[in-house]
Amino acid sequence: MNESATATVPAEPPRSFLRKIAWQLRHDEKRELWIGWWTLVVFYNLYGLLFFVITRTQPPPKPSLDPSEIVQWFADRRHGLIYGYGIVFIVGGATAIMNATLAYSMRRMSVSRAFAYSYLVIYALSTLPGMLLMGIVGTVGAMRPDRDPALMVWLYDFAFLSFEGTMGVFLIGSLVWMVAVLLDENGVFPKWFAYLNLCNALTEVVVAPAWIFRSGPFAWNGTIAWWINMGVFVTYTSVFLTLLRRLILREDFGTGPLPELAKDRAPRSSGLLEAAR
Amino acid sequence: MNAGVEKRLSVVWLALSAITILQLGVVSLDGQAALARSSAITASAIVIALIKVRIIIREFMGVRHAPEMLGRLTDLWVVLTGAILLGGYLAGAAFAKG
Amino acid sequence: MTNAASAQSGARGPLEAARFVPGQPDMWAFVLFEAFVFTSYFTVYVVSRARNPDLFLASQAHLDLRVGVVNTLLLLTSSLFVARCVQAAREGSYQAATTNAFLTMFFGFAFLVSKLREWVVEIGQGFTFTSDEFFSFYYFLTAIHFIHLLIGFVVLAVAVHQLRNPARRSQVIVETCATYWHTIDFLWVLIFALLYVMR
Repeated sequence: MNESATATVPAEPPRSFLRKIAWQLRHDEKRELWIGWWTLVVFYNLYGLLFFVITRTQPPPKPSLDPSEIVQWFADRRHGLIYGYGIVFIVGGATAIMNATLAYSMRRMSVSRAFAYSYLVIYALSTLPGMLLMGIVGTVGAMRPDRDPALMVWLYDFAFLSFEGTMGVFLIGSLVWMVAVLLDENGVFPKWFAYLNLCNALTEVVVAPAWIFRSGPFAWNGTIAWWINMGVFVTYTSVFLTLLRRLILREDFGTGPLPELAKDRAPRSSGLLEAAR
Repeated sequence: MNAGVEKRLSVVWLALSAITILQLGVVSLDGQAALARSSAITASAIVIALIKVRIIIREFMGVRHAPEMLGRLTDLWVVLTGAILLGGYLAGAAFAKG
Repeated sequence: MTNAASAQSGARGPLEAARFVPGQPDMWAFVLFEAFVFTSYFTVYVVSRARNPDLFLASQAHLDLRVGVVNTLLLLTSSLFVARCVQAAREGSYQAATTNAFLTMFFGFAFLVSKLREWVVEIGQGFTFTSDEFFSFYYFLTAIHFIHLLIGFVVLAVAVHQLRNPARRSQVIVETCATYWHTIDFLWVLIFALLYVMR
């Protein structure tokens, strides 16, 4: 079957929703990118649902709970942990598609491919502290409610320190993306996104004191180490999802500057606009 | 360098430095400065700091010559910060441990 | 972006002629965002302080206000020089601009040394990150500021790199770097007021 976009494809996709999706899957040259993007959107929403609602491991509980409270914490969440993290283990591989989509943005830039490759490796590693370890420890803790409380405390600390307190991968990853955007001459992302990556990287540093404090704003559940951090992270994630969508819309599969969207090609001859820039 | 601009920058720097040194003086003059709560000193510290910040933003950073929107955004941050900090201080004091 | 940049540097005549955003608007977006993030940190500090004023007062007494003042003056001076650098570059006096940029670095470095020394002394006296609530905030705020300062040196190096080579000398980039540096300065002004001055 001739899959060429110009030869046998009808000019427009069919009207009906399902047929339109089918048409796009068969003929849209950007289908892999869109699959990647939708995977990101679905996964992040699912992640939120699983961590905040089903397993209820986020927002994180206090590090200062005593052993019996910790045992109770696991008991309260027993089924949520097992089923919630069970789902995480099944769909966790989707992170490969997600990270590939992010790395694709760097491949489209004028910078060395090394940026995309390092980012891929870094973020592949990040699924361990960012998702899997917490999941494994959570399910291990939930599996035997009659386990020795001292062991439960160990599992509890391990889960939250590995999840909240690890930063190296995310910090470096953000810096890689930042430098790529700053050096890029293809205009794939606006420069302010590079600076937002710096903000995100710095918030990773702010989480570091979680290893030291068992209470207060710098503990793993603290106002500064968790709540404010989460604010920055959610902003950052929403932003890059939006920017990736624009990238895919603008994508021309070339190697030069990425064209602007038609609606953004405002006339630049206005003196006021020049002055404002 | 344009003499007018150079002079203005130096005057701004002098003013900011003078205010800073004055803050040292005010706190030292109050004999019990070290160990006494003072909402007057706290409030003035925050307000004076924000005045200095606004001067830095408008004069050193050049917002004076920027489109009004930038001036309004930075002023908004200055005012919000002042309100939140002063408000936070008063709110926290209401729940003070003693 | 590059078209706007060259048009911008061309359009820079006398200051009063046209209103322009200093440097990239992108950097201003960053500055405002960081400013709000810092405001949130300051708020947590102020609320914690107000709930436990005696502890904070007692610990604060171990800070040396004079050193705080000197540090503030050092950063204010560095800001003066980076502002002069931008002005010189605007007028095409690139040699003067480069000198001013180096002076900025010098005063920034002086702050760095002073701050490190202050920390060493305080740690030597037994006041560490975990000593009490006040010192947790003290080290946290000054450390996160310090990291921004270190990044500032990289940013200034970018500015110098631009100024030195006639083939580059992008006014937009130099101004963007200056905008970042001033942010380090004004954030310190607030940190100084909150940690050293407020009672």
